Amino acid sequence: MIIAYSVLAALVLVTVVAFYGLLDLAGGDIAWALFRDEYFYSLLGFTLQQASLSALFSLAFAVPLARALYFHPEWRSQRVFLTLCLLCFVLPSLVLITGLVVLLGRSGWLTPFLGEQWNLYGLSGILIAHVFLNMPFAVRALYLQWQSIPDTSWRLARQLKLSPRQQWQVVEWPVLRGRMIVLAGFIFVMCFNSFAIVLALGGGPQSTTLEVAIYQSLKYDFNIPEALALAWVQFFIVGGVFLLLVRFGSVAWLSVDTVAAQWRPKPTYWWRVADASIYGLAWLFLLLPLLALVAGVWDAPWSWELVKLLGRPLWITLALGLFCGVTAVIIAYIVLLPVRQARLRQHYRRQGLWEWLSMHTLVAPAMVLSVGLYVFLLRRVDVDRWGMFVVAGLNTVVVVPFALQQLRPRLFQFDDQYAALVRTLKLTAWQRLQVEAPWLQSSVRAAFVLVMLLAMGDVAIFAIFGQPDWVTLPWLIYNYASSYRLAEASVAALALLLLFAGIIFAFEGRSDAQHH
Amino acid sequence: MLSITNLLMQRGTWQRTYNLQLATGQIVTLQGRSGVGKSALLAAIAGLEQPVSGVMTWQGQSLLELPLEKRPVSMLFQEYNLFEHLSVWQNLQVGLVWTADTIASIQAAASQLEIKDKLQAWPSDLSGGQRQRVALLRTLLRPEPLVLLDEPFAELDNVTREKAILWVRETAQQTGKTVLLVTHQDEDVQRLADTNIVLKMSIESNNNEKNIHHP
Repeated sequence: MIIAYSVLAALVLVTVVAFYGLLDLAGGDIAWALFRDEYFYSLLGFTLQQASLSALFSLAFAVPLARALYFHPEWRSQRVFLTLCLLCFVLPSLVLITGLVVLLGRSGWLTPFLGEQWNLYGLSGILIAHVFLNMPFAVRALYLQWQSIPDTSWRLARQLKLSPRQQWQVVEWPVLRGRMIVLAGFIFVMCFNSFAIVLALGGGPQSTTLEVAIYQSLKYDFNIPEALALAWVQFFIVGGVFLLLVRFGSVAWLSVDTVAAQWRPKPTYWWRVADASIYGLAWLFLLLPLLALVAGVWDAPWSWELVKLLGRPLWITLALGLFCGVTAVIIAYIVLLPVRQARLRQHYRRQGLWEWLSMHTLVAPAMVLSVGLYVFLLRRVDVDRWGMFVVAGLNTVVVVPFALQQLRPRLFQFDDQYAALVRTLKLTAWQRLQVEAPWLQSSVRAAFVLVMLLAMGDVAIFAIFGQPDWVTLPWLIYNYASSYRLAEASVAALALLLLFAGIIFAFEGRSDAQHH
Repeated sequence: MLSITNLLMQRGTWQRTYNLQLATGQIVTLQGRSGVGKSALLAAIAGLEQPVSGVMTWQGQSLLELPLEKRPVSMLFQEYNLFEHLSVWQNLQVGLVWTADTIASIQAAASQLEIKDKLQAWPSDLSGGQRQRVALLRTLLRPEPLVLLDEPFAELDNVTREKAILWVRETAQQTGKTVLLVTHQDEDVQRLADTNIVLKMSIESNNNEKNIHHP
């Protein structure tokens, strides 16, 4: 347990050091006067607006889609669709943005059909990108919820001759309600903190969020007091929402269990038509930006040299992902030990505190973490030499909450069922690990793949600590795109997309093999 | 001897006080209406729940001072006795001290309890009664001298129940274990118990405390 508390303390220390780094540089100055400025309130208003709308639209599309998937287990493409959903959620923002620009940008494929007023840059582009990333996440989570409805509930509903409306009210809605609130909160947090999407598609000062404003204060104005003031606002708002999420529960979404013999009502003809239409549109929505990316590659000046240029960044990205994946999962397991202990002892406040601390990097502005740490380390370490270690370390810290979210429900379930048994059998720590390992296997794999891919997609941290000798694939895309070599950027984005798709399909294939 | 004196248990407004004594090597059945606090008593002896006050000793040594891991107690719960993700054999492996005789003991016991052909199976392939017998086997073959069984025969049919009772009795006698067993069936008491304790509730006037006595 001492190790667990030390690891937790180290996580907190990273944030404290980052804030200290900036505060120190600013001479302890925070620009509180900013709160009297109209600019601040328009910034806050837009951040809240885009995050709320993103959460609302993601859920509004996800609910009918997840329901359609649940009621049509006969759709053979369903499994592939759910895997695509996973791919979309972890898709690096730069890859998505490249695809969206080809599709909906100024000279995009679909732009001529969207009217004179259409502009990808601004709220509309941000919302499309956020819904693309988060709706699939919500679909998987809600699909799992629907699957948790026991057969007996459906049989009883049929026996009682409940109408479809009554079925929804009595059987489905109660199962979804709690999870919907958590999901909405989670998506809100993700979009509130969104950086690359807003930076690329924001299109001007009227469509800027707090996270981007922090970046701009640091990069262009070097106004650290202003960045700190904005960071505190972001920390408190997102931290507050996140505190509620921790209180309400977690989002288990990655593993999709299919139960072959599950009984569910047979949809009517028009119901089937509506579901098939929703399903078809969803395929189109998710595939189009990816296909646009593939098509963009045709214009690329293909050469062996270009392919060779991608080789090294690809291996570096993979190595970075593997390191972060393994380390983040181990850290998540360790920091969950005190959380589980507090829960078993029914010390719920303490449990909440440990949980919040272990997941706080999800709410701390990533830009402040990176820049703060950079400023702190600059005067103490040779950042140019050790930069890649900081990239790996900081990426690990940032993705720990995602690993934690995956492991937590499974470990809590283990404790609920077996904590008393484990104690009365007087198992040693080693025996305990042997018992927990097979129980956790699928969650560990899911957590590992998720955090590995999230770390592999990083641009923000690399932007600050990365070294030219150790360029990752996302950074290469960014370099190509910012020097207007869009064809090369498309090739690199496609390589990254294929790498992600390969990893995800291999992972889902293994999960399938285990289920059957 | 297990001696319990004025042991006060509390869960919110729920309160029970226990007084009882068990001689070493005895098989004692524990009966009483639902909610009277039978399982709570077993949980307190095992160390799963902490009493508010009172004295509890085993062979003269206070149990309350010992953490669960150090108590000389082996316990069978009403449910969740097997790890569902481990095979029956793996469940026995993690629960038993492995010596040269262990495999022979397991096979002899499994044969008597009619689960020998289930030793390589998965818990999900077993019926409720078979699971309970696997767990019973593990609980009694563990080295601790004090055995607590919470409704161990609840899911067994009459024939299997009789065989299981016989095995518990023989094993406890051969190994000198003291057994405290919760049951709702009078037949179990007649076939197995050296002593039967019936827990009763009596509400004292002017306070909320409920005392439990035994004859």
